[in-house]
Amino acid sequence: MTLFHFGNCFALAYFPYFITYKCSGLSEYNAFWRCVQAGATYLFVQLCKMLFLATFFPTWEGGAGVYDFVGEFMKATVDLADLLGLHLVMSRNAGKGEYKIMVAAMGWATAELVMSRCIPLWVGARGIEFDWKYIQMSFDSNISLVHYIAMAAVVWMFTRYDLPKSFRLPVTVLLGLCVYKAFLMECLDCTAKAILTFYCFNTFM
Amino acid sequence: MFEEASEVFDNMFKSSFPLTFIVFIPAVLILVSPLPAEAAHEFTVYRMQQYDLQGQPYGTRNAILNTEARTVEAEVLSRRCVIMRLVDFSYERYQKALRQSAGAVVIILPKNMSTMPQDIVQQFMELEPEMLATETIVPVYFALEDDELLSIYTQTLTSSSSQGSSSAAEVLIHTATANGFQMVTSGAQSKAVSDWSITSLEGRLAGTGGEDLPTIVLVAHYDSFGVAPWLSYGADSNGSGVSMLLELARLFSRLYTYKRTHAGYNLLFFVSGGGKFNYQGTKRWLEDNLDHTDSSLLQDNVAFVLCLDTLGNGDSLHLHVSKPPKEGTPQYALLKELETVVSSQYPEVKFSMVHKKINLADDTLAWEHERFGIRRLPAFTLSHLNSHREAQRSSIMDVRPHVDLRKLSRNTKLIAEALARVIYNLTEKGAPGDLQIFTEQMVQEEQLSSVVDWLTAQPRAAQLVDKDSSVVSTLEYHLGRYLKDVRRHYVKADKRDPEFVFYDQLKQTMNAYRVKPAIFDLLLAVCIAAYLGVIYLAIQVCINSTWFPSMSP
Repeated sequence: MTLFHFGNCFALAYFPYFITYKCSGLSEYNAFWRCVQAGATYLFVQLCKMLFLATFFPTWEGGAGVYDFVGEFMKATVDLADLLGLHLVMSRNAGKGEYKIMVAAMGWATAELVMSRCIPLWVGARGIEFDWKYIQMSFDSNISLVHYIAMAAVVWMFTRYDLPKSFRLPVTVLLGLCVYKAFLMECLDCTAKAILTFYCFNTFM
Repeated sequence: MFEEASEVFDNMFKSSFPLTFIVFIPAVLILVSPLPAEAAHEFTVYRMQQYDLQGQPYGTRNAILNTEARTVEAEVLSRRCVIMRLVDFSYERYQKALRQSAGAVVIILPKNMSTMPQDIVQQFMELEPEMLATETIVPVYFALEDDELLSIYTQTLTSSSSQGSSSAAEVLIHTATANGFQMVTSGAQSKAVSDWSITSLEGRLAGTGGEDLPTIVLVAHYDSFGVAPWLSYGADSNGSGVSMLLELARLFSRLYTYKRTHAGYNLLFFVSGGGKFNYQGTKRWLEDNLDHTDSSLLQDNVAFVLCLDTLGNGDSLHLHVSKPPKEGTPQYALLKELETVVSSQYPEVKFSMVHKKINLADDTLAWEHERFGIRRLPAFTLSHLNSHREAQRSSIMDVRPHVDLRKLSRNTKLIAEALARVIYNLTEKGAPGDLQIFTEQMVQEEQLSSVVDWLTAQPRAAQLVDKDSSVVSTLEYHLGRYLKDVRRHYVKADKRDPEFVFYDQLKQTMNAYRVKPAIFDLLLAVCIAAYLGVIYLAIQVCINSTWFPSMSP
């Protein structure tokens, strides 16, 4: 709505990252450049994913209401590259487990914040029109910070050879959830809608 | 487990209604209905007239607008844009807005004027000249209503009328949920249009039988007037006059094609522009023909000039004159013929002569014949209106339903009969009063109807019709089908002492942006600061607990 509003959204988005960086003790370990490297890896991984998707997945022409399960499933599978990227970052950083996780997650999440949220905020939140979606976007970035920390932790756990056997399955399931999160939400949404329309149809017929 | 679950579901579906509602309706609402996003709304707005006539400014002077919206009920109106609907419009409210130095006024008109009750339409028609007479510095805009605009209006109404009411807590909640609107126009400031030329058209039918024949001039102005130029369609005034003129041209050109019916009168048809701005087209045409040319039909023998103005409705006909015609003159003959035709063929029509002297001290002339009268040409105007001050001559409410086609065609036939009787000298030859020269089929109602429909399909304000406009070229084509020597005539305002000045920026695009009040930003900042504080504390707690022992500083 105004520059002040932009400042509000920016503070809401960025300050938790700053707080996390300071309080988790990463500053003590001079981890700034490593975080930047993690961010660069994020950019590279996103670029590869985009090229891959554009080359191998044709635009799906079908009805508007039907959801292309197989196509979207394949597209979500490409998000495995995210996990590979996180793993790459963590393996290049020597140090304790927590340090690696935090560095990778911070760098990754900050790169995502800068790339995907700064420009919409700058352009949109500064305009005359007010929309709640900018606050939502900033809040969303907080949630994705936590999400990436969790994802990095799960990836790290997956790669540990001394992980107890009983933990293997939950960790794999969690990894799967991380990658297919958006896809699963869409599926749930579609099936719920289908059930509801079916129910309404039956009730009124 | 699954049997129990299905049993529960069955119970829910069959019996207990409230349970079904509790479970299902929120789910339905969440999943099925998306929230309508109320973003910026863009709509076209039409500005009030802005013009100078003989040095006197009229109308609104400003075009730019970037203010917050309020309705009239709000307490603080200064530097705000006041939105009003036509149903709630009244002159007192309008004056109240202007007195409190409002930033702008936007009046919302219904899309279909015919849905409005007659008294509101009449009241607005009478207010239009008053609104124009006072020179307003603030921009006044008119917008056509649609659903979004109506919702913007109702939201502004609720927030305006609840101002200054309640306790601090309510005010706080109100600021968080309120929706203010900022109205912004995209155009520039209005400035005078230079070199605007008003176009008029003339055409003639030459009479037979020697030189120096008397000339009858038939005149109608084609432009329209209203409080907003883009909304003035001028159906009755003067779309009816133009369509009647074209029909008369057609009839008499048919008569003049055959030698037996070719009369000894020249017929000169003139479709004038700038009529609503003190008949500028006619004025300059007269000057050019009488002062600047050596020989013109107007200089020689002019029998009379008949101006047609607003003839599409009503059951009365008034012949407005500035000097009552003397016996033995052709004007007197026309007057008598009109009376004869009315009394014998159209008894339902009330015909009368209205005598009004030309008052040169007035700002504007009353009827078009006064222009001819000033130049000593015998002239009158036929109209169904009694007085030139009638509001419907210059109103945006004058739309197509105001023209009654049967009455227009009846008036056309009446005038055609009277003219024919004068031209062929029928009364002297002893023709009875109820002799019908033109039979039923000759006056084509479809032709009249299609011309009126076409004329009222676009606004014909003088500021909008330039020489390349389709109105002018179509009229020229039509006249060219029936008349000879169809010529255009241009009027440009004098450079140093302009008789008329038009301004631009008459149609704009306005955006209504949803905005939140400034308090909201501060509130939000406080909330975000609190949230960040909580996060900081939470992280500190996490760090200082036993979860990350090796990372704590």
